[in-house]
Amino acid sequence: MKKLLAMLLIGAMTISTVACGGSDAPAAEETPAETGAAQEAPAETAEEEAPAAEEAATETEAGGDAASAITLWTYPIGKWGDEATVKGLTDAFTAQTGIAVNVEFLAYADGDDKVNTAITAGQAPDVIMEGPERLVANWGANGYMVDLSDMLDDTDKSEIQAAPLTACTAPGGEIYEYPLVMTAHCMAVNLDAFKEAGADQYLDLETHTWTTDDFIKAVEALYAHYNDTVAAVYCAGQGGDQGTRALVNNLYGGSYTDADHTAYTWNSPENVKALEQLKSMDGIAFDASLAGGDEIVKFYQGILKMAFCWNIAQQLDPNSAGTGSGLTVTGQEIEFMSFPSQTGESQLQGGIWGFGIFDNGDAARIEASKQFIKYMADSAATVDAVKAANYFAVRSTAEGTDLTGIWADNEIMNEYQVLMPQLGDYYQVTPGWAGQRTAWWTMLQQIGSGMDVTEALTQYEGEANAAAAE
Amino acid sequence: MSKQVSQKRSRALQRREDIAGYSFMLPSLLFFVGFVVIPMVICIWLSLTNSNMHTKGGGDFIGLMNFINLAKDKVFLDALKNTFVIVFVSVPTVTAFSLWVASAIYKLKMPVLSAFRCIFYLPVVTGSVAVTVVWKWIFDNYTGILNSVLKATGTIDSNINWLGDEKYALWCIILILFTTSVGQPIVLYVSALGNVDASLVEAAEVDGATDLQAFWKIKWPQIMPTTLYILVITTINSFQCFALIQLLTQGGSGTQTVMYYIYYTAFKLTEQSGHFGYANAMGVILAIFIGILSAVQMRLAKEK
Amino acid sequence: MENKTGNSKVYKIISLVVLVILAVLFLFPLYWIVTGAFKPAADIYAQKPVWWPSEWVTTNFGNLMNKRTAPLWEIRLPFSRLFAEGGESIVLSTGPSVPAVFRWLLNTIFMAVAAMFLTCFTAAMAGYALAKKRFRGRSILFGLIICAMALPKQVVLIPLLKEMSAIGLYNTIWAIIFPTVGWPFGVFLMKQFSESIPGEILEAARIDGAGEWNTFATIVFPMVKPGIGALAIFTFINSWNDYFMQLVMVSSNTNYTISLGIATLQAETTVDMGMLMAGAALASVPIIIVFLIFQKYFTQGITMGAVKG
Repeated sequence: MKKLLAMLLIGAMTISTVACGGSDAPAAEETPAETGAAQEAPAETAEEEAPAAEEAATETEAGGDAASAITLWTYPIGKWGDEATVKGLTDAFTAQTGIAVNVEFLAYADGDDKVNTAITAGQAPDVIMEGPERLVANWGANGYMVDLSDMLDDTDKSEIQAAPLTACTAPGGEIYEYPLVMTAHCMAVNLDAFKEAGADQYLDLETHTWTTDDFIKAVEALYAHYNDTVAAVYCAGQGGDQGTRALVNNLYGGSYTDADHTAYTWNSPENVKALEQLKSMDGIAFDASLAGGDEIVKFYQGILKMAFCWNIAQQLDPNSAGTGSGLTVTGQEIEFMSFPSQTGESQLQGGIWGFGIFDNGDAARIEASKQFIKYMADSAATVDAVKAANYFAVRSTAEGTDLTGIWADNEIMNEYQVLMPQLGDYYQVTPGWAGQRTAWWTMLQQIGSGMDVTEALTQYEGEANAAAAE
Repeated sequence: MSKQVSQKRSRALQRREDIAGYSFMLPSLLFFVGFVVIPMVICIWLSLTNSNMHTKGGGDFIGLMNFINLAKDKVFLDALKNTFVIVFVSVPTVTAFSLWVASAIYKLKMPVLSAFRCIFYLPVVTGSVAVTVVWKWIFDNYTGILNSVLKATGTIDSNINWLGDEKYALWCIILILFTTSVGQPIVLYVSALGNVDASLVEAAEVDGATDLQAFWKIKWPQIMPTTLYILVITTINSFQCFALIQLLTQGGSGTQTVMYYIYYTAFKLTEQSGHFGYANAMGVILAIFIGILSAVQMRLAKEK
Repeated sequence: MENKTGNSKVYKIISLVVLVILAVLFLFPLYWIVTGAFKPAADIYAQKPVWWPSEWVTTNFGNLMNKRTAPLWEIRLPFSRLFAEGGESIVLSTGPSVPAVFRWLLNTIFMAVAAMFLTCFTAAMAGYALAKKRFRGRSILFGLIICAMALPKQVVLIPLLKEMSAIGLYNTIWAIIFPTVGWPFGVFLMKQFSESIPGEILEAARIDGAGEWNTFATIVFPMVKPGIGALAIFTFINSWNDYFMQLVMVSSNTNYTISLGIATLQAETTVDMGMLMAGAALASVPIIIVFLIFQKYFTQGITMGAVKG
């Protein structure tokens, strides 16, 4: 048997000598780590002289033994899911540092599985772009990520807003994500459809807010006019669940987690009331065939009159279809709105995106990855990186370049600023985050198919808290 | 003396057969052992451990804990139930339907026969992903052609959420599976029916047997081996139903299957993700069920 | 008697009508793919489904092509990433940058063809040995093969993934091909075919002094050719349609197969049905054409596989 085994391996290897299309993920071999000092050097220089990004990058290159190529896996964050845009950004980086970047694009529907598969195979990417709920709360917590705290000196910490930085920091103080952009997730309405149904009277387009009563009346008016589903509590999967969370929590002032981010608090009278309300409304369907992305498509098509999965990037380029800012496919006008609440003042869900590095045990690749992150998130090039994401920068300045005014000439972006003060607690770092997402959408499905709301909240909050306890 | 010689000779002969036999087997064995047997052994071993992606090495031996936990896992039991629903619905319907189609078309003229055969075989060659993607659109709650047609003909009043409603989702998946499963059995039955001894059928008809009697008494026994083969391959295919689930419902709306739950447990991003021991235990259970079902089918067919 | 034939005529007509209706239903998804691929955005996003494209356009194909690009080919020094600096395998030759769908198609064809050849080659030899060679351990081996045949290969995915990464084949097409080749159905099928080779012919060849390999190549091989044809078709279709292995084993865009590529496009948050249909058309139409041309062999092959199996 042993002989057979050996022969098998030999055979497999011989055959694969003709292999084409090899794997381009890195080998997990250890190389002597000696970059600790090298990494600190450029950061210090940066602090003292605040030099242009070029200088910092060159110096880093001189100081460290950076690999000549890295892999970047990115989720579709604004135009970071668009090949041409990303290529423009990485080409500029390559031109400056000589480090090539192999990019893979992930989808929200199965991107996590791909990363997990790659981790299992020992070939995780070098750099990954996503939010803290994955990078910090999951992969970071499980020890796959590199601590980036040495990349952030006091200047950086003063430039970056406190909330996103806190979200990117693990309980132990490690920073597993270097934040780049942030936004507040909101919802959207089809203004033309609202007008047609006489429901636009319930919208305050000055402040982009509305109360729960307004919302209920608007849905009733829309349903009376169209006699069909006008909005969907989508729950086909976890995609876009920030929208359903914010909707449910804001209606009657419920909360999702406790203030310390240790446990889930779904089963509260406020949330029960909100879900009962939503379930009772004829115009609203609990739709288990839609995930967040599908809901956007239906809204963009003009079928749904409201979208709960919305943000500024969608407002700028609905459905990423390139058919005009703030317009549906047929040219109807889209208005972004805050989620309805009793006072009109809502707690919006924050979105934070940035970069993390997987620890593949290769110091040279980690060094090169850090150069990449430095270039994208803290240099003169950060303007382009932020603009590509279609969100707001998390920091005020990057190595002397002012980032506060980069959207100054963009009306929609400016208008959207009215929502930013409503940015609520970033609770996505609560333990068990990834596991509770399944509990949440399964619960919505169950409620949609007739399960008692209180019963569902009790059962699935239990599951979420069980995930948190693990 | 001569006995000794012949013994020696036969031993030499045996040696030669061994060498020749294994030399011919070698290329195939490399792949079979390397990519089927070894993984299976590892799979069985891992199912007895708490192995997961976060700890290095194979994990600790925990006996049958995974299986005990599985027996208590509501999601798994649901998945098992759905998997059996799929198998027990699709296997008989696929077999009966393809037998009916085949017997209706096998006497037709060649171009017509082959046209029908092609059409029913097309979903197989179209590819599972392409088929799934288009069905997703057809079943779409708001813009799907199915709802639109049913509404236009007055069959339904309001849209049915085919893939999002627990009442329908599993049946939609069974339907798609059905369309991609009948192609091969039809081809097989057409040729099997064509091979049935015509003189026997004629003789029976002369004796006054009805068509139905002729079918059951004469044709059915003769196509039994084909039926058996069809039963086995359809069973295996139905158990493996994965792409449909992953691309259509992600296991929601009451369509969780064992195959998808294995994938989910292994690679989806949850706090329990990468629980390989647990996932492998499901694999072992699935394998056992398939084995039993195949054996039962073989046994039943032999008795008949 | 009169009555009976009358009845059966009515039955025949009814069943023919039902068959035609069913055939139309079976053709519908394909019709929907092809028309969908050529519909303009207005039809795709229309709230009411559009039966026939208001205008035949190729924009969906354009969008598909522009979505992702990949080099048409990359030939790498095998296993070079295990010793190369920086852990990147050494690329010997890179093709021009083309829309990724072409690379995916090429990968798929390569995968299906390689799996087909390797399976036929190994299975023909092994099947012959199992049928005609009386080597020791033969029946145990055969039993193992029968057992393994009934098990879905997906259940072993986790060990397989680890194994592939250990031998450096993760994220290569080979990681999909090898398990397909290892699947013992082919061996089983070829054994059944080889059983029918008369022993006397083999004996005669041996007496004539033909070597083992010679006997196989000149006598056995021609006799089992129909079986090989059947197996080739079977393997080709199966690996073309396989999706699960591809999903787990391959991570880069450049190594995707067409199924995986379309599934990935579908998974992206913003679904463009027109583009997906264009992809589905590209994935299915080539193989449908191949099928229609070789239809006769397909059906023969399938049938033979079953009769012998």
